[in-house]
Amino acid sequence: MSIAAQRTSVRIATGDRLRFYSTQNVPLLLSLGLLVAMIVLYVILFVAKQGHAPGSFEFVTTVNNTMSVGLASVGQTLVVLTGGIDLSVGGIVDLTNSLAATMMANNPGSMLLISLLVLLVGAGAGLLNGLLVAFGRLQPIVVTLATLAIWQGVALFVLPQPGGTIPNDFSNLLTGTVPALGNLPCGIIVLLLLIALWQVLRRTLFLVALYAIGNDERAARANGTPILLAKVGAYTLGGAFSGAAGLYFAAFTTSGDATSGTPLTLTSIAAVVLGGISLFGGRGSAVGALAGAFILTLLLSNLFFAGVNPQLQDLFSGLFLILAVVASTLVGRLLQRTRRSAG
Amino acid sequence: MKVNTWMPAPLRGLSPSQRGALLAFVASIIILIAGGIYRPGLLQPTSIANLLLLASFIGLAAAGQTFVILIGGIDLSIPGIMTAMGILLTTRSLGQDARAWWVVPLVLVVGLGVGAVNGLGIVLFDIPPVVMTLGMNGIMGGAVLGLTNGFTCAECNSVAPPSVQTLITGQLIPGVPNGLLLWLAIAILVGLVLGFATFGRRVYALGNNATASYLAGVNVRRVTVAVYALSGLFAAIAGIAFTAFSTTATLAMGDPYLFQSIAAVVIGGASILGGRGIYWGTVAGAIFLIVLQAFVFEFNVPEATRSIASGVVILAALLLYGRETREV
Repeated sequence: MSIAAQRTSVRIATGDRLRFYSTQNVPLLLSLGLLVAMIVLYVILFVAKQGHAPGSFEFVTTVNNTMSVGLASVGQTLVVLTGGIDLSVGGIVDLTNSLAATMMANNPGSMLLISLLVLLVGAGAGLLNGLLVAFGRLQPIVVTLATLAIWQGVALFVLPQPGGTIPNDFSNLLTGTVPALGNLPCGIIVLLLLIALWQVLRRTLFLVALYAIGNDERAARANGTPILLAKVGAYTLGGAFSGAAGLYFAAFTTSGDATSGTPLTLTSIAAVVLGGISLFGGRGSAVGALAGAFILTLLLSNLFFAGVNPQLQDLFSGLFLILAVVASTLVGRLLQRTRRSAG
Repeated sequence: MKVNTWMPAPLRGLSPSQRGALLAFVASIIILIAGGIYRPGLLQPTSIANLLLLASFIGLAAAGQTFVILIGGIDLSIPGIMTAMGILLTTRSLGQDARAWWVVPLVLVVGLGVGAVNGLGIVLFDIPPVVMTLGMNGIMGGAVLGLTNGFTCAECNSVAPPSVQTLITGQLIPGVPNGLLLWLAIAILVGLVLGFATFGRRVYALGNNATASYLAGVNVRRVTVAVYALSGLFAAIAGIAFTAFSTTATLAMGDPYLFQSIAAVVIGGASILGGRGIYWGTVAGAIFLIVLQAFVFEFNVPEATRSIASGVVILAALLLYGRETREV
């Protein structure tokens, strides 16, 4: 298409716009579809097993179970968009979770202060990753593997034995319900805020730079994108989201554990993959990662209600992860073929 | 081309991976001697033989990881395969030598097969190696738990057959555990394959530039599948060796080897991007990790310190010789 033709088609009809959007966001739509399928399956299995529809208790539990993975996976998304990967998520969650549980006192000032501190610690840990990757010119996978070990160790110094407490008020604020809004889980409000934040964030130059780097770092550099700063920013903000995940997990369990975050490294990557975000970088949306986090939680619930031996959980999760990627690859190939034959 | 003028003359002639290997060896010896000054027990021949035997399990698991990293991939399924194969060994052999002759080959073939499935998923469906091997790790862990009913089965208390135990902890040469001889033999073999065999050259070619090696006639898919299959095989060997050493197989016994197998390769001077690295570097990296552990253990510092120390060491190794060249 010539440039002149592009200029004239500034106004796009709504129908075309919808078609453009759907062809551009196949992986995201696939993962949202998978989420809907999981929810439907959940309701069917729940009714079959319990004889009544899932109520607000199940809703709140599912949301609270998911949101720490959700927060971590948004952080992971930022890093994955640049074509990197953050294995230190688990270590940062360990550390921030331990810090929150040992330091937070039962007064609003302390809650605010410690929450901020925890987010800053997360951001600081991410900053270290970012500096090493961008300015140290090191590979993300090994840098974050090393910092994972470091933060896991530091967390054990902060909180050698599981323990500590999180004030009930703080816990309720993040994982309770809002009676005024029909017992809406606070986790849902966190989720909506995250989605809103993402809609703002993805329109900023910062996120445009991350997509540019992930798609073609050389071209981005040639275009004058501040590669190093953008990368440092991605890891730093990613670390802050991991810190938020640690804080949320502490609020959820009302105590701390220096090893509680370790599984989050892998689940945050799994959520990102199920959310249709390309591990090669440059493609995807944090909304997908959040959907991926819910898919993971619902998968475990569904396996439970389907009467699958709980010992086999990891097997089915692993299989599901691989099959989801295979399915999305096959759909992608199919679309390419139809597009080629149409054009 | 930048000349490393700060480097002593003899080191300048070495390739980066050779320098990495050398550095890791020298650092291991320095730490060992430093530890030995305060705890002379560390320098006893039996203690050194024990440390090397412990390093051999990392070295064996990391042999496969070396191949995989050389082609620019990564294998996160090594811990799952190690555990599953160790448990397969004890529960099928029931600690009887009469069953060992078919169980050991069975374990090796299953390990090879699982690795091959990793490779096939990666080449046939374009699954990123991180996702494929991560999923496979979960599958292995879940399969073990499910098939042994949470490790409560009647056969789950079985030990490794005595003949297999002798293979690792026996001493053909007095003072040298057989496991070390096995590791040495495998190290020589892997070194020869990587350095001189066509397959080894193809591995380096693929890691340096997949498109160029495809155009040069390398069957990229076949080499990739073979490399992941080898990684599964080495994970199975490491699983057998570690089970024989500790006499029983336990759940999660392979878990530390995820971090350590990657760390050994990186400390040994290989590039995580592929195409650069030698197995002797991995050997040195494995020894370094164990010596560092022993040092920390001897001085009764908290366990958490070891984790921090190994993280810092990896970062130091990376900053020393893992940096990419600046893009123009």
